Amino acid sequence: MATARPGWSRRAQYGLFFSFLAVIGGIIVGLILLALSLVAPKTFENVRGAALDITGPVASALHEVTATASGLVTGAGDYWDAARQNGELKRERRALLQRMVEAKAIIQENQQLKATLQLRQRNQDTIAVGRIVGSSFNSPRRFAILSVGSSAGVQVGMPVRSADGLVGRIIDAGSLSSRILLVSDRANIVPARLLRGGIPVISQGRGDGTLDVRPLEVGRNPFRRGDVIITSGTGGLYPPLVPIARVVKLDDDGAVAIPLADPANISFAIVEPAFEPQAGADEATAGPDAP
Amino acid sequence: MVRAALAPPRRIGQGPTRFRMLVPAATVVAASLLSALPIVSTSGWYPDFGYMVLISWRLLRADPWPAWWAAPLGLVNDLFTGYPIGFSIALWSATMLALDLIDRRTMWRDYWIEWILAAVFLTIDQVLQWRVAALVGAKVPFSSMLPPIIISICVFPLSAWLISRLDGWRLGR
Repeated sequence: MATARPGWSRRAQYGLFFSFLAVIGGIIVGLILLALSLVAPKTFENVRGAALDITGPVASALHEVTATASGLVTGAGDYWDAARQNGELKRERRALLQRMVEAKAIIQENQQLKATLQLRQRNQDTIAVGRIVGSSFNSPRRFAILSVGSSAGVQVGMPVRSADGLVGRIIDAGSLSSRILLVSDRANIVPARLLRGGIPVISQGRGDGTLDVRPLEVGRNPFRRGDVIITSGTGGLYPPLVPIARVVKLDDDGAVAIPLADPANISFAIVEPAFEPQAGADEATAGPDAP
Repeated sequence: MVRAALAPPRRIGQGPTRFRMLVPAATVVAASLLSALPIVSTSGWYPDFGYMVLISWRLLRADPWPAWWAAPLGLVNDLFTGYPIGFSIALWSATMLALDLIDRRTMWRDYWIEWILAAVFLTIDQVLQWRVAALVGAKVPFSSMLPPIIISICVFPLSAWLISRLDGWRLGR
Protein backbone atom coordinates (compact mmCIF):
# COMPACT_ATOMS: atom_id res chain seq x y z
CA MET A 1 0.00 0.00 0.00
CA ALA A 2 2.99 2.20 -0.37
CA THR A 3 2.65 3.25 -3.96
CA ALA A 4 0.06 5.84 -4.85
CA ARG A 5 -1.32 3.86 -7.78
CA PRO A 6 -0.76 0.13 -7.94
CA GLY A 7 -1.06 -0.08 -11.74
CA TRP A 8 -4.22 -0.54 -13.75
CA SER A 9 -5.48 -3.57 -11.87
CA ARG A 10 -8.91 -2.78 -10.47
CA ARG A 11 -8.42 -5.51 -7.85
CA ALA A 12 -5.17 -3.97 -6.60
CA GLN A 13 -6.76 -0.52 -6.48
CA TYR A 14 -9.67 -1.81 -4.39
CA GLY A 15 -7.24 -3.67 -2.14
CA LEU A 16 -5.36 -0.45 -1.50
CA PHE A 17 -8.56 1.44 -0.82
CA PHE A 18 -9.89 -1.14 1.64
CA SER A 19 -6.60 -1.35 3.49
CA PHE A 20 -6.77 2.42 3.97
CA LEU A 21 -10.29 2.01 5.31
CA ALA A 22 -9.10 -0.76 7.66
CA VAL A 23 -6.33 1.45 9.05
CA ILE A 24 -8.73 4.34 9.60
CA GLY A 25 -11.08 1.87 11.30
CA GLY A 26 -8.17 0.81 13.53
CA ILE A 27 -7.55 4.44 14.53
CA ILE A 28 -11.24 4.97 15.34
CA VAL A 29 -11.51 1.74 17.37
CA GLY A 30 -8.32 2.68 19.22
CA LEU A 31 -9.61 6.15 20.07
CA ILE A 32 -12.94 4.73 21.31
CA LEU A 33 -11.14 2.17 23.52
CA LEU A 34 -8.79 4.88 24.79
CA ALA A 35 -11.71 7.14 25.69
CA LEU A 36 -13.40 4.20 27.44
CA SER A 37 -10.31 3.29 29.43
CA LEU A 38 -9.80 6.93 30.45
CA VAL A 39 -13.41 7.55 31.44
CA ALA A 40 -14.29 4.14 32.88
CA PRO A 41 -10.99 2.46 33.88
CA LYS A 42 -12.76 -0.61 35.23
CA THR A 43 -14.07 -1.65 31.80
CA PHE A 44 -10.99 -3.62 30.88
CA GLU A 45 -10.17 -4.94 34.35
CA ASN A 46 -10.40 -8.61 33.34
CA VAL A 47 -8.39 -8.25 30.15
CA ARG A 48 -5.65 -6.36 31.94
CA GLY A 49 -5.60 -8.94 34.72
CA ALA A 50 -5.22 -11.74 32.16
CA ALA A 51 -2.33 -9.93 30.47
CA LEU A 52 -0.67 -9.46 33.85
CA ASP A 53 -0.94 -13.20 34.41
CA ILE A 54 1.04 -13.76 31.20
CA THR A 55 3.86 -11.30 31.93
CA GLY A 56 3.93 -11.52 35.73
CA PRO A 57 5.33 -15.06 36.07
CA VAL A 58 7.88 -14.36 33.30
CA ALA A 59 9.04 -11.28 35.20
CA SER A 60 9.13 -13.26 38.46
CA ALA A 61 11.30 -15.97 36.91
CA LEU A 62 13.68 -13.41 35.37
CA HIS A 63 13.76 -11.53 38.66
CA GLU A 64 14.95 -14.69 40.43
CA VAL A 65 17.81 -14.96 37.92
CA THR A 66 18.93 -11.34 38.30
CA ALA A 67 18.51 -11.45 42.08
CA THR A 68 20.71 -14.55 42.25
CA ALA A 69 23.34 -12.99 40.00
CA SER A 70 23.46 -9.71 41.91
CA GLY A 71 23.39 -11.66 45.18
CA LEU A 72 26.51 -13.54 44.10
CA VAL A 73 28.27 -10.27 43.32
CA THR A 74 27.32 -8.54 46.58
CA GLY A 75 28.03 -11.77 48.47
CA ALA A 76 31.57 -11.80 47.14
CA GLY A 77 31.87 -8.13 48.07
CA ASP A 78 30.78 -8.91 51.64
CA TYR A 79 33.58 -11.45 52.04
CA TRP A 80 36.05 -8.90 50.76
CA ASP A 81 35.86 -6.65 53.83
CA ALA A 82 34.30 -9.02 56.33
CA ALA A 83 36.45 -7.88 59.24
CA ARG A 84 35.47 -4.23 58.97
CA GLN A 85 31.80 -5.15 58.53
CA ASN A 86 31.98 -7.41 61.54
CA GLY A 87 33.24 -4.61 63.74
CA GLU A 88 30.61 -2.26 62.41
CA LEU A 89 27.81 -4.76 63.02
CA LYS A 90 28.95 -5.39 66.58
CA ARG A 91 28.88 -1.66 67.28
CA GLU A 92 25.43 -1.39 65.73
CA ARG A 93 24.18 -4.34 67.77
CA ARG A 94 25.27 -2.74 71.02
CA ALA A 95 23.49 0.48 70.10
CA LEU A 96 20.36 -1.38 69.01
CA LEU A 97 20.16 -3.39 72.23
CA GLN A 98 20.06 -0.16 74.18
CA ARG A 99 17.34 1.23 71.88
CA MET A 100 15.37 -2.00 72.19
CA VAL A 101 15.17 -1.74 75.96
CA GLU A 102 13.95 1.83 75.61
CA ALA A 103 11.38 0.75 73.00
CA LYS A 104 10.09 -2.03 75.26
CA ALA A 105 9.56 0.45 78.03
CA ILE A 106 7.70 2.75 75.64
CA ILE A 107 5.50 -0.10 74.41
CA GLN A 108 4.55 -0.98 77.97
CA GLU A 109 3.75 2.61 78.76
CA ASN A 110 1.74 2.85 75.53
CA GLN A 111 -0.27 -0.23 76.44
CA GLN A 112 -1.09 1.20 79.84
CA LEU A 113 -2.15 4.51 78.29
CA LYS A 114 -4.32 2.74 75.72
CA ALA A 115 -5.92 0.65 78.42
CA THR A 116 -6.79 3.77 80.38
CA LEU A 117 -8.19 5.45 77.27
CA GLN A 118 -9.98 2.22 76.28
CA LEU A 119 -8.78 2.49 72.69
CA ARG A 120 -9.41 -0.55 70.60
CA GLN A 121 -6.49 -1.44 68.41
CA ARG A 122 -7.48 -2.42 64.92
CA ASN A 123 -5.99 -5.73 63.92
CA GLN A 124 -4.03 -5.31 60.70
CA ASP A 125 -3.73 -8.66 59.00
CA THR A 126 -1.43 -9.34 56.13
CA ILE A 127 -3.27 -10.44 53.00
CA ALA A 128 -0.26 -11.59 51.02
CA VAL A 129 3.48 -11.14 50.73
CA GLY A 130 5.16 -10.86 47.37
CA ARG A 131 8.14 -9.52 45.51
CA ILE A 132 8.28 -6.52 43.22
CA VAL A 133 9.37 -8.05 39.93
CA GLY A 134 8.92 -5.32 37.34
CA SER A 135 7.93 -1.74 36.68
CA SER A 136 6.59 0.60 34.02
CA PHE A 137 10.07 1.62 32.96
CA ASN A 138 8.95 3.12 29.64
CA SER A 139 6.09 5.34 30.72
CA PRO A 140 5.60 8.59 32.62
CA ARG A 141 3.40 6.67 35.08
CA ARG A 142 4.97 4.84 38.01
CA PHE A 143 3.61 1.31 38.27
CA ALA A 144 5.25 -1.82 39.63
CA ILE A 145 4.41 -5.48 39.13
CA LEU A 146 3.88 -7.53 42.27
CA SER A 147 4.30 -11.31 42.17
CA VAL A 148 1.05 -12.14 44.00
CA GLY A 149 -2.47 -11.79 42.65
CA SER A 150 -6.11 -12.40 43.41
CA SER A 151 -5.50 -16.12 44.01
CA ALA A 152 -3.67 -14.98 47.17
CA GLY A 153 -6.51 -12.65 48.11
CA VAL A 154 -5.15 -9.44 46.59
CA GLN A 155 -7.85 -7.01 45.50
CA VAL A 156 -7.86 -3.66 43.75
CA GLY A 157 -7.43 -0.79 46.20
CA MET A 158 -5.43 -2.59 48.87
CA PRO A 159 -2.39 -0.74 50.28
CA VAL A 160 1.06 -2.24 49.80
CA ARG A 161 3.94 -1.61 52.17
CA SER A 162 7.35 -3.00 52.94
CA ALA A 163 9.37 -3.12 56.11
CA ASP A 164 10.81 0.29 55.20
CA GLY A 165 7.62 2.13 54.39
CA LEU A 166 4.62 2.61 52.14
CA VAL A 167 5.00 1.34 48.57
CA GLY A 168 1.64 2.15 47.00
CA ARG A 169 -1.69 0.51 46.32
CA ILE A 170 -3.04 -2.18 44.00
CA ILE A 171 -4.73 -0.93 40.83
CA ASP A 172 -4.88 -4.09 38.66
CA ALA A 173 -5.14 -7.62 40.02
CA GLY A 174 -4.60 -10.70 37.88
CA SER A 175 -4.89 -14.09 39.49
CA LEU A 176 -1.10 -14.62 39.64
CA SER A 177 0.27 -11.09 39.78
CA SER A 178 -0.92 -7.56 40.28
CA ARG A 179 0.02 -3.98 39.42
CA ILE A 180 0.85 -1.38 42.07
CA LEU A 181 0.38 2.36 41.73
CA LEU A 182 3.56 3.53 43.47
CA VAL A 183 3.55 6.48 45.86
CA SER A 184 5.87 8.24 43.40
CA ASP A 185 3.19 8.27 40.67
CA ARG A 186 1.76 11.71 40.01
CA ALA A 187 -1.81 10.45 40.44
CA ASN A 188 -1.15 8.90 43.84
CA ILE A 189 -2.11 11.37 46.56
CA VAL A 190 -1.52 10.18 50.12
CA PRO A 191 -2.91 12.00 53.15
CA ALA A 192 0.01 12.21 55.55
CA ARG A 193 1.51 14.10 58.43
CA LEU A 194 4.89 15.11 59.72
CA LEU A 195 6.31 12.70 62.27
CA ARG A 196 7.75 15.70 64.12
CA GLY A 197 4.80 17.71 65.39
CA GLY A 198 2.07 15.88 63.47
CA ILE A 199 1.28 18.73 61.07
CA PRO A 200 -1.11 17.36 58.39
CA VAL A 201 0.40 17.32 54.90
CA ILE A 202 -0.42 15.91 51.46
CA SER A 203 2.07 13.74 49.60
CA GLN A 204 1.92 13.48 45.82
CA GLY A 205 4.33 11.68 43.50
CA ARG A 206 6.43 13.59 40.99
CA GLY A 207 6.74 10.79 38.46
CA ASP A 208 10.53 10.57 38.80
CA GLY A 209 10.85 8.56 41.98
CA THR A 210 10.45 11.48 44.38
CA LEU A 211 7.46 13.01 46.15
CA ASP A 212 6.02 16.49 46.56
CA VAL A 213 4.86 17.17 50.10
CA ARG A 214 2.68 20.17 50.87
CA PRO A 215 1.17 21.33 54.16
CA LEU A 216 -2.64 21.37 54.26
CA GLU A 217 -2.61 24.82 55.80
CA VAL A 218 -1.09 27.45 53.57
CA GLY A 219 1.42 29.72 55.18
CA ARG A 220 4.63 28.88 56.93
CA ASN A 221 6.65 26.06 55.41
CA PRO A 222 6.78 23.48 58.22
CA PHE A 223 9.37 21.21 56.64
CA ARG A 224 12.99 20.73 57.53
CA ARG A 225 15.54 18.61 55.78
CA GLY A 226 15.51 15.07 57.13
CA ASP A 227 11.88 15.21 58.30
CA VAL A 228 10.03 11.91 58.08
CA ILE A 229 6.51 11.86 56.57
CA ILE A 230 4.06 9.20 57.81
CA THR A 231 0.56 8.32 56.67
CA SER A 232 -2.28 9.87 58.64
CA GLY A 233 -4.94 7.28 57.79
CA THR A 234 -7.34 10.00 56.63
CA GLY A 235 -9.59 8.74 53.85
CA GLY A 236 -9.31 5.21 55.13
CA LEU A 237 -7.33 3.80 52.23
CA TYR A 238 -3.89 3.68 53.80
CA PRO A 239 -3.33 2.58 57.41
CA PRO A 240 -2.02 5.33 59.69
CA LEU A 241 1.55 5.58 61.03
CA VAL A 242 3.26 3.97 58.04
CA PRO A 243 6.43 5.90 57.14
CA ILE A 244 6.36 7.25 53.58
CA ALA A 245 9.33 9.45 52.82
CA ARG A 246 12.16 11.63 54.07
CA VAL A 247 12.41 15.29 53.12
CA VAL A 248 15.54 16.11 51.12
CA LYS A 249 14.90 19.55 49.64
CA LEU A 250 12.72 22.52 50.53
CA ASP A 251 10.94 24.62 47.94
CA ASP A 252 8.78 27.72 48.30
CA ASP A 253 5.58 26.21 49.67
CA GLY A 254 6.50 22.60 50.39
CA ALA A 255 9.30 20.13 50.02
CA VAL A 256 10.66 17.30 47.91
CA ALA A 257 10.94 13.94 49.63
CA ILE A 258 12.41 10.56 48.75
CA PRO A 259 10.31 7.45 49.48
CA LEU A 260 11.74 5.34 52.29
CA ALA A 261 10.73 2.13 50.49
CA ASP A 262 12.72 2.06 47.25
CA PRO A 263 10.79 -0.35 44.99
CA ALA A 264 14.04 -1.44 43.35
CA ASN A 265 15.58 -2.57 46.63
CA ILE A 266 12.82 -3.87 48.89
CA SER A 267 12.92 -7.62 49.25
CA PHE A 268 9.29 -8.22 50.19
CA ALA A 269 6.15 -6.19 49.72
CA ILE A 270 3.24 -6.79 52.09
CA VAL A 271 -0.34 -6.39 50.88
CA GLU A 272 -2.68 -5.27 53.64
CA PRO A 273 -6.46 -4.92 53.66
CA ALA A 274 -7.80 -1.44 53.03
CA PHE A 275 -7.73 0.34 56.39
CA GLU A 276 -11.45 0.97 56.32
CA PRO A 277 -13.11 -1.58 54.03
CA GLN A 278 -15.59 1.02 52.76
CA ALA A 279 -12.77 3.09 51.26
CA GLY A 280 -11.45 0.08 49.40
CA ALA A 281 -14.92 -0.63 48.00
CA ASP A 282 -15.28 2.95 46.80
CA GLU A 283 -11.91 2.72 45.15
CA ALA A 284 -12.92 -0.48 43.36
CA THR A 285 -16.13 0.99 41.96
CA ALA A 286 -15.13 4.57 41.18
CA GLY A 287 -11.35 4.44 40.75
CA PRO A 288 -10.91 8.01 39.49
CA ASP A 289 -7.16 7.73 39.10
CA ALA A 290 -6.60 4.21 37.89
CA PRO A 291 -5.08 4.07 34.39
CA MET B 1 15.75 -7.90 -10.05
CA VAL B 2 19.11 -6.54 -11.11
CA ARG B 3 20.33 -6.42 -7.55
CA ALA B 4 19.43 -10.09 -7.06
CA ALA B 5 21.41 -11.00 -10.20
CA LEU B 6 24.45 -9.11 -8.98
CA ALA B 7 24.35 -10.68 -5.52
CA PRO B 8 26.86 -13.43 -4.73
CA PRO B 9 25.50 -16.94 -5.36
CA ARG B 10 23.54 -18.35 -2.47
CA ARG B 11 24.66 -21.19 -0.34
CA ILE B 12 22.68 -24.37 -0.79
CA GLY B 13 19.80 -24.57 1.64
CA GLN B 14 19.79 -20.84 2.23
CA GLY B 15 16.49 -19.23 1.43
CA PRO B 16 13.57 -17.37 2.86
CA THR B 17 12.46 -18.54 6.29
CA ARG B 18 9.26 -20.54 6.45
CA PHE B 19 7.47 -18.00 8.65
CA ARG B 20 8.84 -14.95 6.83
CA MET B 21 5.40 -13.33 6.69
CA LEU B 22 5.01 -13.52 10.46
CA VAL B 23 8.54 -12.58 11.54
CA PRO B 24 8.04 -8.78 11.56
CA ALA B 25 4.84 -8.92 13.61
CA ALA B 26 6.41 -11.50 15.94
CA THR B 27 9.39 -9.22 16.61
CA VAL B 28 7.03 -6.35 17.47
CA VAL B 29 5.20 -8.59 19.96
CA ALA B 30 8.54 -9.72 21.38
CA ALA B 31 9.58 -6.09 21.79
CA SER B 32 6.33 -5.33 23.61
CA LEU B 33 7.07 -8.30 25.87
CA LEU B 34 10.37 -6.67 26.87
CA SER B 35 8.30 -4.74 29.40
CA ALA B 36 8.18 -7.99 31.41
CA LEU B 37 11.91 -7.59 32.07
CA PRO B 38 12.61 -7.38 35.80
CA ILE B 39 13.78 -3.78 35.63
CA VAL B 40 12.48 -1.76 38.55
CA SER B 41 13.09 1.83 37.56
CA THR B 42 11.85 4.94 39.31
CA SER B 43 12.35 7.24 36.35
CA GLY B 44 10.67 5.65 33.31
CA TRP B 45 13.41 6.65 30.88
CA TYR B 46 13.48 3.43 28.87
CA PRO B 47 12.29 3.66 25.26
CA ASP B 48 8.94 2.33 24.12
CA PHE B 49 10.40 -0.85 22.60
CA GLY B 50 7.28 -2.03 20.75
CA TYR B 51 6.72 1.26 18.96
CA MET B 52 10.40 1.59 18.11
CA VAL B 53 10.51 -1.84 16.47
CA LEU B 54 7.24 -1.09 14.66
CA ILE B 55 8.59 2.05 13.01
CA SER B 56 11.94 0.37 12.34
CA TRP B 57 10.14 -2.28 10.26
CA ARG B 58 7.83 0.21 8.60
CA LEU B 59 10.70 2.51 7.60
CA LEU B 60 12.68 -0.43 6.24
CA ARG B 61 9.81 -1.88 4.20
CA ALA B 62 6.49 -0.56 2.96
CA ASP B 63 4.71 -3.84 3.62
CA PRO B 64 6.14 -5.71 6.63
CA TRP B 65 2.54 -6.70 7.49
CA PRO B 66 -0.92 -5.78 6.24
CA ALA B 67 -1.51 -2.26 7.49
CA TRP B 68 -4.50 -3.16 9.67
CA TRP B 69 -2.31 -5.49 11.79
CA ALA B 70 -1.08 -2.35 13.55
CA ALA B 71 -4.30 -2.31 15.59
CA PRO B 72 -4.05 -5.81 17.12
CA LEU B 73 -0.29 -5.34 17.62
CA GLY B 74 -1.06 -2.12 19.46
CA LEU B 75 -3.58 -3.94 21.66
CA VAL B 76 -0.90 -6.48 22.62
CA ASN B 77 1.47 -3.62 23.48
CA ASP B 78 -1.17 -1.87 25.59
CA LEU B 79 -1.86 -5.05 27.53
CA PHE B 80 1.77 -5.87 28.25
CA THR B 81 3.10 -2.38 28.99
CA GLY B 82 0.16 -1.19 31.09
CA TYR B 83 -0.69 1.81 28.90
CA PRO B 84 -4.39 2.70 28.86
CA ILE B 85 -6.01 0.30 26.42
CA GLY B 86 -6.54 1.92 23.04
CA PHE B 87 -3.51 4.21 23.22
CA SER B 88 -1.17 2.09 21.10
CA ILE B 89 -4.02 0.85 18.90
CA ALA B 90 -4.83 4.39 17.79
CA LEU B 91 -1.24 5.63 17.70
CA TRP B 92 0.15 2.66 15.77
CA SER B 93 -2.65 2.69 13.18
CA ALA B 94 -2.21 6.43 12.74
CA THR B 95 1.54 5.90 12.32
CA MET B 96 0.98 3.37 9.52
CA LEU B 97 -1.34 5.81 7.77
CA ALA B 98 0.99 8.78 8.27
CA LEU B 99 4.01 6.87 6.95
CA ASP B 100 2.02 5.82 3.86
CA LEU B 101 1.18 9.45 3.18
CA ILE B 102 4.82 10.46 3.80
CA ASP B 103 5.98 7.73 1.39
CA ARG B 104 4.01 9.43 -1.37
CA ARG B 105 5.60 12.80 -0.74
CA THR B 106 9.25 11.93 -0.23
CA MET B 107 11.28 11.98 -3.44
CA TRP B 108 14.25 10.12 -2.02
CA ARG B 109 15.13 8.36 1.19
CA ASP B 110 18.38 8.07 3.03
CA TYR B 111 19.50 7.28 6.52
CA TRP B 112 19.16 10.81 7.85
CA ILE B 113 15.59 11.22 6.64
CA GLU B 114 14.63 7.92 8.24
CA TRP B 115 16.22 8.92 11.51
CA ILE B 116 14.49 12.30 11.47
CA LEU B 117 11.15 10.63 10.70
CA ALA B 118 11.70 8.15 13.52
CA ALA B 119 12.68 10.98 15.88
CA VAL B 120 9.47 12.84 15.02
CA PHE B 121 7.30 9.77 15.62
CA LEU B 122 9.06 8.78 18.85
CA THR B 123 8.64 12.34 20.14
CA ILE B 124 4.94 12.27 19.23
CA ASP B 125 4.62 8.98 21.11
CA GLN B 126 6.19 10.37 24.30
CA VAL B 127 4.25 13.64 24.13
CA LEU B 128 0.96 11.75 23.70
CA GLN B 129 1.84 9.49 26.65
CA TRP B 130 2.48 12.62 28.66
CA ARG B 131 -0.88 14.12 27.61
CA VAL B 132 -2.80 10.92 28.39
CA ALA B 133 -1.10 10.65 31.79
CA ALA B 134 -2.11 14.25 32.48
CA LEU B 135 -5.72 13.41 31.53
CA VAL B 136 -5.94 10.75 34.24
CA GLY B 137 -4.45 13.01 36.89
CA ALA B 138 -0.73 12.30 36.56
CA LYS B 139 0.35 15.72 35.32
CA VAL B 140 4.15 15.60 35.38
CA PRO B 141 6.21 18.58 34.15
CA PHE B 142 7.20 18.29 30.49
CA SER B 143 10.90 18.60 31.33
CA SER B 144 10.72 15.11 32.84
CA MET B 145 9.74 13.77 29.39
CA LEU B 146 12.88 15.10 27.69
CA PRO B 147 15.29 12.33 28.82
CA PRO B 148 13.11 9.48 27.48
CA ILE B 149 12.61 11.34 24.19
CA ILE B 150 16.36 11.87 23.73
CA ILE B 151 17.19 8.33 24.82
CA SER B 152 14.71 6.73 22.43
CA ILE B 153 15.93 8.89 19.51
CA CYS B 154 19.51 7.83 20.26
CA VAL B 155 18.57 4.15 20.55
CA PHE B 156 16.62 4.10 17.29
CA PRO B 157 19.64 3.46 14.97
CA LEU B 158 20.44 0.34 16.99
CA SER B 159 16.89 -0.90 16.59
CA ALA B 160 16.93 -0.09 12.85
CA TRP B 161 20.21 -2.00 12.42
CA LEU B 162 18.89 -5.02 14.32
CA ILE B 163 15.71 -5.05 12.27
CA SER B 164 17.60 -4.83 8.98
CA ARG B 165 19.74 -7.81 10.06
CA LEU B 166 16.58 -9.70 10.99
CA ASP B 167 15.06 -8.83 7.63
CA GLY B 168 18.11 -10.25 5.86
CA TRP B 169 17.80 -13.48 7.85
CA ARG B 170 14.05 -13.66 7.23
CA LEU B 171 14.48 -13.39 3.47
CA GLY B 172 17.53 -15.63 3.41
CA ARG B 173 19.99 -13.08 2.13
